[in-house]
Amino acid sequence: MECNGCEFHPELHYDREFQIWVRREADGTLTVGMTDISQTIAGKILHVRVRRPGTRRPPGKPVATIESGKWAGPVPNFFDCVIEEANAEVLDNPVLLNTDPYQAWIARVRPVDGPEAALSGFVTGEEARAGYCERARREDIHCRRQPG
Amino acid sequence: MSATWRLLDTGLRRAAENIALNRALLEAHQAGEAPHTLRFLRFRPSALIGFHQSPRQELHLDACARAGIEVQRRITGGGAIYFDEGQLGWELYLDRRTLGTADMGAIARRICEAAAAGIRRLGVDARFRPRNDIEVDGRKLSGTGGAFDGDSFLYQGTLLLDFDVERMLRVLRIPAEKLSGKAVAGARDRVVSLRELLGEVPPLETVQRHLAEAFAEAFGVTLEPGGLNAAEEARYREALAEIDTPEWVHLRDAPADEAPLLEGVHRARGGLIRAIVWLDEARDHVKQVLITGDFFVQPRRLVADLEAALKDVPRADLRARVEAFFREHEAALLMLEPADFVAALEAALASPTTDEAARP
Repeated sequence: MECNGCEFHPELHYDREFQIWVRREADGTLTVGMTDISQTIAGKILHVRVRRPGTRRPPGKPVATIESGKWAGPVPNFFDCVIEEANAEVLDNPVLLNTDPYQAWIARVRPVDGPEAALSGFVTGEEARAGYCERARREDIHCRRQPG
Repeated sequence: MSATWRLLDTGLRRAAENIALNRALLEAHQAGEAPHTLRFLRFRPSALIGFHQSPRQELHLDACARAGIEVQRRITGGGAIYFDEGQLGWELYLDRRTLGTADMGAIARRICEAAAAGIRRLGVDARFRPRNDIEVDGRKLSGTGGAFDGDSFLYQGTLLLDFDVERMLRVLRIPAEKLSGKAVAGARDRVVSLRELLGEVPPLETVQRHLAEAFAEAFGVTLEPGGLNAAEEARYREALAEIDTPEWVHLRDAPADEAPLLEGVHRARGGLIRAIVWLDEARDHVKQVLITGDFFVQPRRLVADLEAALKDVPRADLRARVEAFFREHEAALLMLEPADFVAALEAALASPTTDEAARP
Protein backbone atom coordinates (compact mmCIF):
# COMPACT_ATOMS: atom_id res chain seq x y z
CA MET A 1 0.00 0.00 0.00
CA GLU A 2 1.27 3.42 -0.90
CA CYS A 3 0.70 7.07 -0.14
CA ASN A 4 2.28 9.81 -2.30
CA GLY A 5 4.37 6.94 -3.60
CA CYS A 6 5.58 6.15 -0.05
CA GLU A 7 5.57 2.47 0.85
CA PHE A 8 3.82 1.49 4.09
CA HIS A 9 3.76 -1.76 6.10
CA PRO A 10 0.85 -2.03 8.57
CA GLU A 11 2.52 -4.80 10.61
CA LEU A 12 5.40 -2.52 11.70
CA HIS A 13 5.46 0.02 14.53
CA TYR A 14 6.20 3.71 13.92
CA ASP A 15 7.15 6.80 15.90
CA ARG A 16 4.65 9.68 15.79
CA GLU A 17 6.55 11.41 13.00
CA PHE A 18 7.08 8.19 10.99
CA GLN A 19 10.83 8.62 10.92
CA ILE A 20 11.64 5.02 11.86
CA TRP A 21 9.98 1.63 11.73
CA VAL A 22 10.34 -1.04 14.41
CA ARG A 23 9.67 -4.76 14.10
CA ARG A 24 9.08 -7.03 17.11
CA GLU A 25 11.22 -10.16 17.02
CA ALA A 26 10.36 -13.48 18.72
CA ASP A 27 13.37 -13.24 21.05
CA GLY A 28 12.23 -9.96 22.62
CA THR A 29 14.55 -7.76 20.56
CA LEU A 30 13.42 -5.00 18.22
CA THR A 31 14.66 -4.38 14.69
CA VAL A 32 14.93 -0.74 13.65
CA GLY A 33 14.96 0.82 10.18
CA MET A 34 14.16 4.04 8.31
CA THR A 35 10.81 4.66 6.64
CA ASP A 36 10.38 5.42 2.97
CA ILE A 37 9.52 8.99 3.99
CA SER A 38 12.80 9.32 5.92
CA GLN A 39 15.01 7.89 3.19
CA THR A 40 13.36 10.20 0.66
CA ILE A 41 13.97 13.27 2.81
CA ALA A 42 17.56 12.21 3.48
CA GLY A 43 18.49 11.66 -0.17
CA LYS A 44 21.22 9.29 -1.23
CA ILE A 45 22.85 7.95 1.92
CA LEU A 46 26.64 7.73 1.79
CA HIS A 47 27.53 6.76 5.36
CA VAL A 48 25.90 4.84 8.19
CA ARG A 49 27.37 4.35 11.61
CA VAL A 50 25.85 2.16 14.31
CA ARG A 51 27.05 2.28 17.89
CA ARG A 52 29.00 -0.76 19.08
CA PRO A 53 26.99 -3.85 20.16
CA GLY A 54 26.57 -3.79 23.92
CA THR A 55 26.23 0.01 24.04
CA ARG A 56 23.24 1.27 26.01
CA ARG A 57 21.35 4.13 24.39
CA PRO A 58 18.73 6.06 26.37
CA PRO A 59 15.80 7.75 24.58
CA GLY A 60 17.03 10.74 22.57
CA LYS A 61 20.51 9.28 22.13
CA PRO A 62 20.74 7.81 18.65
CA VAL A 63 21.44 4.18 17.87
CA ALA A 64 22.79 5.13 14.46
CA THR A 65 23.79 8.15 12.38
CA ILE A 66 23.57 8.70 8.65
CA GLU A 67 25.08 11.11 6.14
CA SER A 68 23.88 12.12 2.71
CA GLY A 69 25.11 14.91 0.47
CA LYS A 70 26.94 16.69 3.31
CA TRP A 71 24.02 16.42 5.75
CA ALA A 72 24.69 14.30 8.83
CA GLY A 73 22.26 13.34 11.55
CA PRO A 74 20.86 10.72 13.85
CA VAL A 75 18.39 7.98 13.15
CA PRO A 76 16.23 8.98 16.11
CA ASN A 77 15.83 6.69 19.09
CA PHE A 78 12.78 6.78 21.35
CA PHE A 79 13.40 4.09 23.99
CA ASP A 80 16.08 2.89 26.38
CA CYS A 81 17.89 0.02 24.68
CA VAL A 82 21.12 -1.93 24.28
CA ILE A 83 22.49 -2.48 20.79
CA GLU A 84 22.74 -6.15 19.86
CA GLU A 85 23.71 -6.07 16.20
CA ALA A 86 24.21 -3.76 13.24
CA ASN A 87 23.25 -4.78 9.73
CA ALA A 88 26.69 -5.34 8.20
CA GLU A 89 25.27 -5.25 4.68
CA VAL A 90 23.93 -1.74 5.24
CA LEU A 91 27.19 -0.57 6.82
CA ASP A 92 29.02 -1.73 3.67
CA ASN A 93 26.45 -0.39 1.25
CA PRO A 94 24.40 2.43 2.83
CA VAL A 95 22.40 3.15 -0.32
CA LEU A 96 20.40 -0.01 0.49
CA LEU A 97 18.53 2.24 2.95
CA ASN A 98 17.34 4.20 -0.09
CA THR A 99 16.68 1.37 -2.48
CA ASP A 100 14.90 -1.00 -0.11
CA PRO A 101 14.14 0.76 3.19
CA TYR A 102 12.00 -2.01 4.71
CA GLN A 103 14.41 -4.85 3.94
CA ALA A 104 17.51 -2.84 4.84
CA TRP A 105 17.21 -2.80 8.61
CA ILE A 106 19.79 -0.77 10.51
CA ALA A 107 20.14 -2.33 13.95
CA ARG A 108 18.68 -4.93 16.26
CA VAL A 109 18.33 -3.67 19.83
CA ARG A 110 17.19 -5.07 23.19
CA PRO A 111 14.77 -2.72 24.94
CA VAL A 112 15.78 -2.36 28.60
CA ASP A 113 12.18 -2.33 29.88
CA GLY A 114 10.89 -4.92 27.41
CA PRO A 115 9.29 -4.49 23.97
CA GLU A 116 5.83 -3.69 25.32
CA ALA A 117 6.99 -0.59 27.18
CA ALA A 118 9.35 0.45 24.39
CA LEU A 119 6.56 0.46 21.82
CA SER A 120 3.95 2.13 24.02
CA GLY A 121 4.46 5.47 22.30
CA PHE A 122 4.42 3.95 18.82
CA VAL A 123 1.58 3.48 16.35
CA THR A 124 0.83 0.53 14.10
CA GLY A 125 -1.79 -0.87 11.68
CA GLU A 126 -4.49 1.31 10.16
CA GLU A 127 -3.99 4.13 12.67
CA ALA A 128 -0.36 4.32 11.56
CA ARG A 129 -1.30 4.25 7.90
CA ALA A 130 -3.56 7.28 8.32
CA GLY A 131 -0.83 9.24 10.14
CA TYR A 132 1.85 8.19 7.68
CA CYS A 133 -0.21 9.35 4.69
CA GLU A 134 -1.17 12.53 6.49
CA ARG A 135 2.48 13.45 7.03
CA ALA A 136 3.40 12.70 3.42
CA ARG A 137 0.53 14.90 2.20
CA ARG A 138 0.99 17.68 4.77
CA GLU A 139 4.68 18.06 3.96
CA ASP A 140 4.20 17.28 0.27
CA ILE A 141 6.68 14.42 0.40
CA HIS A 142 6.71 12.25 -2.71
CA CYS A 143 8.76 9.16 -2.12
CA ARG A 144 11.36 8.17 -4.66
CA ARG A 145 13.93 5.44 -4.71
CA GLN A 146 17.52 6.16 -5.51
CA PRO A 147 19.15 4.11 -8.22
CA GLY A 148 21.40 1.59 -6.49
CA MET B 1 5.55 42.16 11.58
CA SER B 2 8.34 39.84 10.52
CA ALA B 3 9.66 37.07 12.72
CA THR B 4 12.78 37.71 14.80
CA TRP B 5 15.81 35.45 14.77
CA ARG B 6 18.74 35.67 17.13
CA LEU B 7 22.10 36.95 15.90
CA LEU B 8 24.78 35.16 17.91
CA ASP B 9 28.49 35.92 17.65
CA THR B 10 30.59 33.46 19.62
CA GLY B 11 33.92 35.02 18.57
CA LEU B 12 37.28 33.29 18.24
CA ARG B 13 37.38 29.88 19.93
CA ARG B 14 39.03 26.48 19.99
CA ALA B 15 37.57 23.89 17.61
CA ALA B 16 36.27 21.69 20.45
CA GLU B 17 34.32 24.64 21.87
CA ASN B 18 32.88 25.58 18.50
CA ILE B 19 31.76 22.05 17.78
CA ALA B 20 30.34 21.55 21.27
CA LEU B 21 28.33 24.72 20.59
CA ASN B 22 27.07 23.16 17.34
CA ARG B 23 25.81 20.17 19.27
CA ALA B 24 24.37 22.23 22.14
CA LEU B 25 22.58 24.75 19.93
CA LEU B 26 21.13 22.09 17.62
CA GLU B 27 19.90 19.95 20.52
CA ALA B 28 18.44 22.97 22.28
CA HIS B 29 16.68 24.02 19.09
CA GLN B 30 15.24 20.55 18.61
CA ALA B 31 14.06 20.56 22.26
CA GLY B 32 12.31 23.89 21.71
CA GLU B 33 14.69 25.66 24.10
CA ALA B 34 16.39 27.90 21.55
CA PRO B 35 15.27 30.44 18.93
CA HIS B 36 16.07 30.34 15.23
CA THR B 37 19.61 31.64 15.06
CA LEU B 38 22.27 33.04 12.77
CA ARG B 39 25.65 32.43 14.37
CA PHE B 40 29.06 33.78 13.42
CA LEU B 41 32.12 31.90 14.65
CA ARG B 42 35.87 31.83 14.18
CA PHE B 43 38.51 29.20 14.89
CA ARG B 44 42.01 29.03 16.24
CA PRO B 45 44.05 26.93 13.75
CA SER B 46 42.21 23.62 13.37
CA ALA B 47 41.84 20.66 11.06
CA LEU B 48 38.20 19.63 10.99
CA ILE B 49 37.01 16.32 9.61
CA GLY B 50 33.44 15.53 8.57
CA PHE B 51 31.28 13.58 11.00
CA HIS B 52 31.80 10.18 9.37
CA GLN B 53 35.45 10.58 8.40
CA SER B 54 38.59 8.99 9.84
CA PRO B 55 41.36 11.37 10.97
CA ARG B 56 44.20 9.17 9.69
CA GLN B 57 42.62 9.04 6.23
CA GLU B 58 41.98 12.76 5.96
CA LEU B 59 44.84 14.48 7.78
CA HIS B 60 48.57 14.48 8.27
CA LEU B 61 48.31 14.13 12.01
CA ASP B 62 52.05 14.58 12.58
CA ALA B 63 52.02 17.85 10.68
CA CYS B 64 49.02 19.00 12.71
CA ALA B 65 50.76 18.11 15.98
CA ARG B 66 54.00 19.85 14.97
CA ALA B 67 52.19 23.04 13.99
CA GLY B 68 49.91 23.07 17.04
CA ILE B 69 46.81 22.60 14.91
CA GLU B 70 43.86 21.20 16.83
CA VAL B 71 42.18 18.19 15.24
CA GLN B 72 38.43 17.92 15.66
CA ARG B 73 35.43 16.04 14.31
CA ARG B 74 32.46 18.10 13.17
CA ILE B 75 28.87 17.05 13.73
CA THR B 76 28.12 18.03 10.13
CA GLY B 77 28.78 15.96 7.03
CA GLY B 78 31.22 16.61 4.20
CA GLY B 79 34.98 16.67 3.89
CA ALA B 80 38.00 17.72 5.91
CA ILE B 81 38.92 21.39 6.03
CA TYR B 82 41.66 23.56 7.45
CA PHE B 83 40.26 26.46 9.44
CA ASP B 84 42.06 29.37 11.08
CA GLU B 85 41.66 33.05 11.91
CA GLY B 86 41.59 33.78 8.16
CA GLN B 87 38.10 32.31 7.79
CA LEU B 88 34.71 33.32 9.05
CA GLY B 89 32.17 30.64 9.91
CA TRP B 90 28.44 31.26 9.55
CA GLU B 91 25.64 28.97 10.70
CA LEU B 92 21.87 28.87 10.67
CA TYR B 93 19.78 26.95 13.23
CA LEU B 94 16.28 26.49 11.86
CA ASP B 95 13.69 23.80 11.26
CA ARG B 96 12.16 22.33 8.16
CA ARG B 97 8.72 23.58 9.16
CA THR B 98 9.91 27.20 9.04
CA LEU B 99 11.33 26.77 5.57
CA GLY B 100 8.23 24.92 4.40
CA THR B 101 10.10 22.02 2.84
CA ALA B 102 11.53 18.70 3.92
CA ASP B 103 13.83 18.52 0.91
CA MET B 104 17.37 18.75 2.27
CA GLY B 105 18.87 19.61 -1.10
CA ALA B 106 16.43 22.49 -1.55
CA ILE B 107 17.19 23.76 1.96
CA ALA B 108 20.94 23.75 1.27
CA ARG B 109 20.43 25.55 -2.02
CA ARG B 110 18.23 28.25 -0.52
CA ILE B 111 20.70 28.95 2.29
CA CYS B 112 23.72 28.93 -0.02
CA GLU B 113 22.01 31.31 -2.42
CA ALA B 114 21.30 33.70 0.45
CA ALA B 115 24.93 33.48 1.61
CA ALA B 116 26.16 34.09 -1.94
CA ALA B 117 23.93 37.17 -2.17
CA GLY B 118 25.51 38.46 1.05
CA ILE B 119 29.02 37.90 -0.28
CA ARG B 120 28.12 39.68 -3.52
CA ARG B 121 27.40 42.81 -1.46
CA LEU B 122 31.14 42.91 -0.83
CA GLY B 123 31.71 43.36 -4.54
CA VAL B 124 32.58 39.84 -5.70
CA ASP B 125 30.53 37.68 -8.05
CA ALA B 126 29.79 34.81 -5.65
CA ARG B 127 27.49 32.03 -6.88
CA PHE B 128 26.14 28.79 -5.48
CA ARG B 129 27.67 25.70 -7.07
CA PRO B 130 25.79 22.46 -6.44
CA ARG B 131 25.91 20.61 -4.32
CA ASN B 132 27.45 22.60 -1.52
CA ASP B 133 29.93 25.27 -2.55
CA ILE B 134 29.88 29.00 -3.12
CA GLU B 135 32.34 30.02 -5.78
CA VAL B 136 33.63 32.90 -7.83
CA ASP B 137 34.35 32.05 -11.46
CA GLY B 138 34.87 28.36 -10.71
CA ARG B 139 37.00 28.94 -7.61
CA LYS B 140 35.69 27.95 -4.19
CA LEU B 141 35.22 30.78 -1.70
CA SER B 142 32.94 29.02 0.76
CA GLY B 143 32.24 25.37 1.55
CA THR B 144 29.12 24.29 3.42
CA GLY B 145 27.51 21.34 5.19
CA GLY B 146 24.70 20.50 7.56
CA ALA B 147 23.45 18.41 10.45
CA PHE B 148 19.88 17.58 11.39
CA ASP B 149 18.15 16.36 14.50
CA GLY B 150 14.48 15.57 13.97
CA ASP B 151 12.86 18.64 12.43
CA SER B 152 15.69 20.99 13.44
CA PHE B 153 18.83 21.51 11.48
CA LEU B 154 22.10 23.36 11.51
CA TYR B 155 23.58 24.50 8.22
CA GLN B 156 27.06 25.98 8.22
CA GLY B 157 29.58 27.46 5.86
CA THR B 158 33.06 28.87 5.82
CA LEU B 159 34.06 32.07 4.10
CA LEU B 160 37.70 32.46 3.10
CA LEU B 161 38.73 35.97 4.07
CA ASP B 162 42.40 35.16 3.77
CA PHE B 163 43.85 31.75 3.05
CA ASP B 164 47.17 29.98 3.30
CA VAL B 165 47.06 27.27 0.61
CA GLU B 166 50.49 25.84 1.47
CA ARG B 167 49.42 25.36 5.06
CA MET B 168 46.23 23.63 3.96
CA LEU B 169 48.23 21.29 1.72
CA ARG B 170 50.53 20.37 4.61
CA VAL B 171 47.60 19.52 6.86
CA LEU B 172 45.03 17.85 4.62
CA ARG B 173 45.60 14.55 2.92
CA ILE B 174 43.98 15.44 -0.40
CA PRO B 175 44.76 14.73 -4.05
CA ALA B 176 46.28 18.23 -4.45
CA GLU B 177 49.21 17.24 -2.25
CA LYS B 178 50.37 14.96 -5.03
CA LEU B 179 50.96 17.96 -7.19
CA SER B 180 54.26 19.73 -7.28
CA GLY B 181 55.78 22.84 -8.81
CA LYS B 182 53.63 24.30 -11.55
CA ALA B 183 50.76 22.03 -10.67
CA VAL B 184 50.42 23.46 -7.15
CA ALA B 185 49.27 26.60 -8.90
CA GLY B 186 46.47 24.43 -10.25
CA ALA B 187 45.43 23.54 -6.71
CA ARG B 188 45.63 27.18 -5.73
CA ASP B 189 43.36 28.00 -8.66
CA ARG B 190 40.58 25.92 -7.15
CA VAL B 191 40.12 28.11 -4.08
CA VAL B 192 40.05 31.86 -3.68
CA SER B 193 39.89 34.29 -0.77
CA LEU B 194 38.38 37.72 -0.40
CA ARG B 195 41.90 39.11 -0.01
CA GLU B 196 42.81 37.80 -3.44
CA LEU B 197 39.59 39.04 -5.03
CA LEU B 198 39.47 42.46 -3.39
CA GLY B 199 43.15 43.15 -2.82
CA GLU B 200 42.57 43.36 0.93
CA VAL B 201 40.58 41.65 3.66
CA PRO B 202 37.44 43.67 4.36
CA PRO B 203 36.74 44.41 8.03
CA LEU B 204 35.09 41.49 9.80
CA GLU B 205 32.19 43.69 10.92
CA THR B 206 31.46 44.62 7.31
CA VAL B 207 31.45 41.00 6.14
CA GLN B 208 29.19 39.93 9.01
CA ARG B 209 26.80 42.83 8.45
CA HIS B 210 26.39 42.04 4.75
CA LEU B 211 25.86 38.35 5.39
CA ALA B 212 23.36 39.04 8.17
CA GLU B 213 21.41 41.49 6.02
CA ALA B 214 21.32 39.07 3.12
CA PHE B 215 20.02 36.21 5.30
CA ALA B 216 17.43 38.52 6.92
CA GLU B 217 16.24 39.64 3.50
CA ALA B 218 16.18 36.15 1.97
CA PHE B 219 14.09 34.74 4.83
CA GLY B 220 12.05 37.88 5.54
CA VAL B 221 13.11 38.15 9.18
CA THR B 222 14.63 40.62 11.60
CA LEU B 223 17.86 39.71 13.40
CA GLU B 224 18.37 40.69 17.00
CA PRO B 225 21.73 40.24 18.77
CA GLY B 226 21.61 37.85 21.73
CA GLY B 227 23.73 35.47 23.81
CA LEU B 228 23.37 31.85 24.92
CA ASN B 229 20.47 31.06 27.25
CA ALA B 230 20.79 28.92 30.39
CA ALA B 231 19.55 25.74 28.72
CA GLU B 232 22.11 26.14 25.94
CA GLU B 233 24.90 26.83 28.46
CA ALA B 234 24.07 23.59 30.29
CA ARG B 235 23.96 21.59 27.06
CA TYR B 236 27.22 23.21 25.96
CA ARG B 237 29.08 22.08 29.08
CA GLU B 238 27.77 18.55 28.63
CA ALA B 239 28.67 18.48 24.92
CA LEU B 240 32.15 19.86 25.54
CA ALA B 241 32.87 17.06 28.03
CA GLU B 242 32.18 14.52 25.27
CA ILE B 243 33.68 16.34 22.30
CA ASP B 244 36.91 17.69 23.79
CA THR B 245 38.34 14.15 23.96
CA PRO B 246 40.43 11.83 21.74
CA GLU B 247 37.54 9.33 21.82
CA TRP B 248 35.30 11.76 19.96
CA VAL B 249 38.01 12.77 17.48
CA HIS B 250 38.83 9.11 16.70
CA LEU B 251 35.22 7.88 16.82
CA ARG B 252 35.83 6.41 13.40
CA ASP B 253 39.44 5.58 12.71
CA ALA B 254 40.19 3.63 9.54
CA PRO B 255 43.87 3.60 8.49
CA ALA B 256 45.20 5.79 5.69
CA ASP B 257 46.20 2.89 3.46
CA GLU B 258 42.53 1.98 2.99
CA ALA B 259 42.11 5.27 1.15
CA PRO B 260 44.97 5.48 -1.36
CA LEU B 261 45.66 8.41 -3.66
CA LEU B 262 46.07 6.94 -7.15
CA GLU B 263 47.58 8.70 -10.09
CA GLY B 264 47.12 8.12 -13.82
CA VAL B 265 48.06 9.83 -17.05
CA HIS B 266 46.34 9.66 -20.42
CA ARG B 267 47.86 11.12 -23.56
CA ALA B 268 44.98 12.38 -25.69
CA ARG B 269 45.22 14.05 -29.10
CA GLY B 270 44.40 17.34 -27.44
CA GLY B 271 47.03 17.05 -24.73
CA LEU B 272 48.01 15.23 -21.61
CA ILE B 273 45.41 14.56 -18.89
CA ARG B 274 46.64 13.73 -15.42
CA ALA B 275 44.07 12.34 -12.96
CA ILE B 276 44.52 11.82 -9.25
CA VAL B 277 41.84 9.64 -7.74
CA TRP B 278 41.27 9.28 -4.04
CA LEU B 279 39.65 5.91 -3.46
CA ASP B 280 37.82 4.65 -0.39
CA GLU B 281 38.63 0.96 -0.77
CA ALA B 282 36.33 -0.32 1.94
CA ARG B 283 33.29 1.22 0.23
CA ASP B 284 34.71 1.00 -3.30
CA HIS B 285 33.84 4.68 -3.67
CA VAL B 286 35.80 7.45 -5.32
CA LYS B 287 36.06 10.12 -2.64
CA GLN B 288 37.45 12.86 -4.83
CA VAL B 289 39.36 13.41 -8.07
CA LEU B 290 41.73 16.06 -9.31
CA ILE B 291 42.25 16.61 -13.03
CA THR B 292 45.13 18.63 -14.45
CA GLY B 293 47.14 18.69 -17.65
CA ASP B 294 47.94 20.78 -20.69
CA PHE B 295 44.66 20.23 -22.53
CA PHE B 296 42.27 23.04 -23.45
CA VAL B 297 38.61 23.29 -22.41
CA GLN B 298 36.06 26.10 -22.38
CA PRO B 299 34.65 27.39 -20.12
CA ARG B 300 37.69 27.29 -17.87
CA ARG B 301 35.61 26.30 -14.84
CA LEU B 302 34.52 23.11 -16.54
CA VAL B 303 37.24 21.06 -14.87
CA ALA B 304 36.22 22.35 -11.42
CA ASP B 305 32.60 21.46 -12.15
CA LEU B 306 33.58 18.00 -13.37
CA GLU B 307 35.60 17.43 -10.20
CA ALA B 308 32.60 18.53 -8.12
CA ALA B 309 30.34 16.11 -10.03
CA LEU B 310 32.73 13.24 -9.30
CA LYS B 311 32.76 13.57 -5.49
CA ASP B 312 31.78 10.43 -3.60
CA VAL B 313 30.81 8.30 -6.57
CA PRO B 314 30.74 4.48 -6.54
CA ARG B 315 33.75 3.33 -8.55
CA ALA B 316 31.49 1.37 -10.91
CA ASP B 317 29.52 4.52 -11.77
CA LEU B 318 32.49 6.72 -12.63
CA ARG B 319 32.34 6.34 -16.40
CA ALA B 320 28.57 6.89 -16.55
CA ARG B 321 28.93 9.96 -14.33
CA VAL B 322 31.55 11.53 -16.62
CA GLU B 323 29.41 10.85 -19.68
CA ALA B 324 26.31 12.29 -18.00
CA PHE B 325 28.31 15.38 -17.00
CA PHE B 326 29.29 16.13 -20.59
CA ARG B 327 25.73 15.58 -21.78
CA GLU B 328 24.49 18.15 -19.25
CA HIS B 329 27.21 20.77 -19.73
CA GLU B 330 28.05 22.92 -22.72
CA ALA B 331 31.71 22.26 -23.32
CA ALA B 332 34.21 23.18 -25.98
CA LEU B 333 36.85 20.48 -26.01
CA LEU B 334 39.81 20.96 -28.31
CA MET B 335 40.67 17.56 -29.79
CA LEU B 336 39.36 15.90 -26.66
CA GLU B 337 36.48 13.53 -25.99
CA PRO B 338 34.71 12.80 -22.71
CA ALA B 339 36.23 9.32 -23.14
CA ASP B 340 39.68 10.87 -22.69
CA PHE B 341 38.77 11.97 -19.16
CA VAL B 342 37.41 8.51 -18.45
CA ALA B 343 40.69 7.02 -19.72
CA ALA B 344 42.76 9.20 -17.37
CA LEU B 345 40.57 8.25 -14.40
CA GLU B 346 40.73 4.58 -15.30
CA ALA B 347 44.51 4.78 -15.66
CA ALA B 348 44.62 6.12 -12.09
CA LEU B 349 42.31 3.39 -10.78
CA ALA B 350 44.43 0.74 -12.49
CA SER B 351 47.68 2.04 -11.01
CA PRO B 352 49.26 0.00 -8.21
CA THR B 353 48.57 1.15 -4.68
CA THR B 354 51.84 2.69 -3.60
CA ASP B 355 50.42 5.16 -1.19
CA GLU B 356 52.53 6.87 1.38
CA ALA B 357 50.38 6.38 4.43
CA ALA B 358 53.13 7.57 6.73
CA ARG B 359 54.05 10.60 4.69
CA PRO B 360 54.39 13.69 6.85
